[in-house]
Amino acid sequence: MSRGVHRFAVLVACATFFLIIAGANVTSHDAGLATSDWPLSNGQFFPKMVGNLFWEHGHRMVATAVGILTIALAIYLQFSERRSWVKRLGWVALFGVIAQGLLGGLTVKMNLPLAVSSAHATLAQLFFLTTVSLAVFTSRSWMSPTSSVSEAGEGVSIRALCVVALAAILVQLVLGATLRHSATWDQWLPTGLLLAHVGGAIVVTLILGASALTVLSRHRHEKYLARPAMAALALLAMQLSLGLAAYITRAASPYDPQPLNPMIAVTVAHVAGGALLFATTIILTLRVFRVVRVDRQEYVLAPA
Amino acid sequence: MFSKRARLWLGLIMAISLLSLASSCGGGPKVEDGGETPAAGNTPPPSKGDEGTITGKVSYTGTAPEAKKIDTSADAACTSKSPNLTTEEWAVKDGKVANTFVYIKDGTIDGAKKVGDYVWPAPAAVTLDQDGCHYKPHVMGVVVKQDITIKNSDPTTHNIHFTPKNNPDWNQSQPNGAPTLTHKLNVAEVLVPVKCNQHPWMKAYVAVLKHPFFAVSAEDGSFTIKNVPPGKYTVVAWHEGAGSGTEKTMEVTVAAKGAATADFAFGGTAELRGQPSSMPVVSAIEFPMVIKH
Repeated sequence: MSRGVHRFAVLVACATFFLIIAGANVTSHDAGLATSDWPLSNGQFFPKMVGNLFWEHGHRMVATAVGILTIALAIYLQFSERRSWVKRLGWVALFGVIAQGLLGGLTVKMNLPLAVSSAHATLAQLFFLTTVSLAVFTSRSWMSPTSSVSEAGEGVSIRALCVVALAAILVQLVLGATLRHSATWDQWLPTGLLLAHVGGAIVVTLILGASALTVLSRHRHEKYLARPAMAALALLAMQLSLGLAAYITRAASPYDPQPLNPMIAVTVAHVAGGALLFATTIILTLRVFRVVRVDRQEYVLAPA
Repeated sequence: MFSKRARLWLGLIMAISLLSLASSCGGGPKVEDGGETPAAGNTPPPSKGDEGTITGKVSYTGTAPEAKKIDTSADAACTSKSPNLTTEEWAVKDGKVANTFVYIKDGTIDGAKKVGDYVWPAPAAVTLDQDGCHYKPHVMGVVVKQDITIKNSDPTTHNIHFTPKNNPDWNQSQPNGAPTLTHKLNVAEVLVPVKCNQHPWMKAYVAVLKHPFFAVSAEDGSFTIKNVPPGKYTVVAWHEGAGSGTEKTMEVTVAAKGAATADFAFGGTAELRGQPSSMPVVSAIEFPMVIKH
């Protein structure tokens, strides 16, 4: 197993993160239909990148680059990886990026129906989950963990907490994506979906907070676990602040020609923060599964 | 070369690709048939030569929100052609409101059939121009199935996007120098928002009615609805803003060859979308469905 494949997997995960930012810019600029055709833009491979076409065509170019990188990673894994399940995960990533591209094209051809656009945004996060997981699985620390900690009847399972936190973040990301794709400038706030997203933020704060604090309280000397747990808490605080700022910038300027740059910057940062928080929780969860050993106690009924 | 599972994945990917391509082919502009076509029995009564008019003025009470300058720096062609572009939501001058759509919503012609029971034949095409990176006119009305000629007078590409609720969504790119596009709406709808996805500040509104009894207020707030058959009508003045727009209603009687008057006034906090320094709060909270808005 070479270090090269791990570095390449990290590159693909970083490129995917950049792609999510590019996609968030398309939504915030209301640029999804800047061109009515797909895969070409106004019938050209490289149209003049003016107005909102800069964001939409730019997003397509970044997506193409990520697609090529994912193909390369899937092939790289076939030659350099011994574990068959990791090889298969490479194919899953390739399948994900192709399906994602098709969903992107479909939503343009169908004039951005909410269901398809939200599915496109959700699959983006699932694809990101796959690329981050591949980066973790190919890392040296995963292959040869230097530590192992045990838990024996210490209350709530850390594994279960982390999985629930991960699921809660994914649901919250889907809610956020649906909220963003259903927003119109003349919509009055708050909408029902916005309230659901705020409710989701409270749920994520409680579950992820409990997960990270449990990890820190039980294994604070284990840097392999403590670092992502602390990062998750910091990102959670940042994400909550960005969410509030996104609401304020969206609601504070109803008479201005939308979208305004402060609102675009904050909402894109909020999407990026959500993706980073998701990636950090993925890393935390996978590491917990890797090094936390659950010692099962066997109970034997005493003879009468 | 590939394992059995890898072949299965590749097969799935190819199947989805083909399905997606099939669904995206055959796109392009479509004109739906059906809709509100004049059928035998609902063609309007022949003119008796006794039609009248409805005239009036649209005014604004209080201080209207100021027009805001639009940042067009995303496209240099827009900045050079329209360096001082401003928002058009409330075009108020000396207390008079332009761009208000005034129309007959309901009523009875000559005490017989309701105006909505007839479908008038579509008149000649009207033009919607993209000039200086804004739409001219900003508000317009058409009769169902009337052709709308869409023109691009700018040295840049526009993307005209009709976003109706009752008619099919329609989105077309129109590069500079491209021939005019033609679009028509088959179902009555007041009003259809139109936007440019290339330049998000560009907005227009198109009202689609079964009849030609409508007008748009001019800069001095005046309007005239011509050739109105004698009858008793509900006249509505619609102005953009406040979510899906604000309406004022008035009952008007048009006598044979008569000139009825209908003056409307907008203004006050109820019609505003909230003050810039406040956070607008909606009184009723609806849960959006998973459909296109």
